Amino acid sequence: MNLSGAVGLAVMSAVVVAWGVSLVSGYDVVADVNPEHMNLGPASAHWLGTDHLGRDVAWRLVTASEVFVGPGLFACLLALLLGVPAGAWAGWVGGLGAELVRYVFTVIASLPRFVLVLLVCAIYGSSVWTLAAAAAVAYSPAIAEAVYSRIATFRGREFVLAAEAHGVHWARILGWHLLWVNGKTLIARHALQLFAYFLLVETTLSYIGALEAGAGFGVPEPTPSWGNMIAFEWGVRHGNQWATWAPALAIWVVILGALLLADGLAEGDHA
Amino acid sequence: MPDGVVLRGLRVEGPQGVLVQGVDLDVLPGRIHVLVGASGSGKTLSARSLLGMVDARPGVTQATLEVTWGDQTWRPYEGLDLNSRRARAVAERRFRPLRGSILGYLPQDARRSLDPLWTVGRQLRAALALREQPHDDGPAAWLARAGFPQPERVEPLYPHELSGGMAQRASIALALARGSRFLLADEPTTGLDPTVQEAILQELLALRDQEGVGLLFITHDLRIVPRLADRLYVMHAGSLVEDLPGDQLDQLTSQPARALWQATARIAGGVLG
Repeated sequence: MNLSGAVGLAVMSAVVVAWGVSLVSGYDVVADVNPEHMNLGPASAHWLGTDHLGRDVAWRLVTASEVFVGPGLFACLLALLLGVPAGAWAGWVGGLGAELVRYVFTVIASLPRFVLVLLVCAIYGSSVWTLAAAAAVAYSPAIAEAVYSRIATFRGREFVLAAEAHGVHWARILGWHLLWVNGKTLIARHALQLFAYFLLVETTLSYIGALEAGAGFGVPEPTPSWGNMIAFEWGVRHGNQWATWAPALAIWVVILGALLLADGLAEGDHA
Repeated sequence: MPDGVVLRGLRVEGPQGVLVQGVDLDVLPGRIHVLVGASGSGKTLSARSLLGMVDARPGVTQATLEVTWGDQTWRPYEGLDLNSRRARAVAERRFRPLRGSILGYLPQDARRSLDPLWTVGRQLRAALALREQPHDDGPAAWLARAGFPQPERVEPLYPHELSGGMAQRASIALALARGSRFLLADEPTTGLDPTVQEAILQELLALRDQEGVGLLFITHDLRIVPRLADRLYVMHAGSLVEDLPGDQLDQLTSQPARALWQATARIAGGVLG
């Protein structure tokens, strides 16, 4: 594996570890409020210090993984379920059926993604799961189109023809040889990009939601999200500056990590 | 009924009109049937119609095809109004048991006909898994049968690591491992250098003589015909203009066949002095 892939894999592994730690830790976001410890700098008791309510920033950073890892994976799964079969089918049959399917996805893709997500949240509320579903729907055209063009390119290749002539069932050629053997890195790459996109959307909305309490966007306090952690500490005088910097850096590192891993996968891929 | 593939009255239509008309072909076991013709004369379409894999639309609109092996006979085009979409779906279903197990296919560009991300050994194992009658021989044995002196060194290779000749041998091994009784070879030696071409031809002759495989060999290279052909078909502009036994190749009568023959002789003469 190349350098960007290795770095990306390390970051994503760290995210998964943080998620696991958070799930088993039983850290209580409310019980941790302690006015005696507010605005402390980094120290051995609190690795990244505390925020202005005296809560441990490092623990909140780890706990915030719960609002994007699970829903992010759900978003990936949903987008793949929507995009991959449709794109694969269109690429395989071609013709009018393919045009029809691609048209539907083009209509979805023509809406700006973020606006689509905001719209869904405004109507259906802003639980992270709704957010994940909206991001998945908004992202599925990109996946469908990528799978479509990959399958359509391979459809006419000699090895597909040869497999047909050898009596391999078409479903096996499409599902196994094209989608799995020759398409899995492409699909994984798009799933990672969606994961990065979902983290961006979730933290952005949580940030806006925490600044504008009436907007009702994103993850509400006291549940930590890297977005609302930044907003919550924004403008606190004589505060612990790590309480804003740490989540901001975490967003940057994880998005970069997901995209680097996607790039790393792209290198070995071909069409 | 004797074993063999019998095609009568083939007619293939494309969007702009008739592409192939009135073609009769036989492929018999232990025989090499050579189909020659200029590019675009309908050779490939005729061969693909034997597999039900004509891409053109409307496609095969008339044909009687009878494939016999052992006590089984298939008539995949029988009783179908081949102009309808439904009929094509029915034909597709009827062709499925034939493809691979009875009728195999040797592609022109063998390297591109192998799954690019699978090793040769893995593709052979997949072909073996598709066989109706399981066989004890592993991938190496089939590679050896296709003329690889050290098959175990070829097994772990990916298609892009093979030379053109090796890829063609691997395709032959694949068709054999799949258990095909008849092979449709679509210009299998085009693009190979003469020494490799010669080796592949030897391999195909060995298939005929040792395994009793029936071959339909498509080419536009008349020079190899005398060594190979038990029967010669010549196509021109979508129809069959010549159908001769292999020992009467000097009796080409039709104008297109003679023109092709003379051009071949001139090129060979020019090169060899």
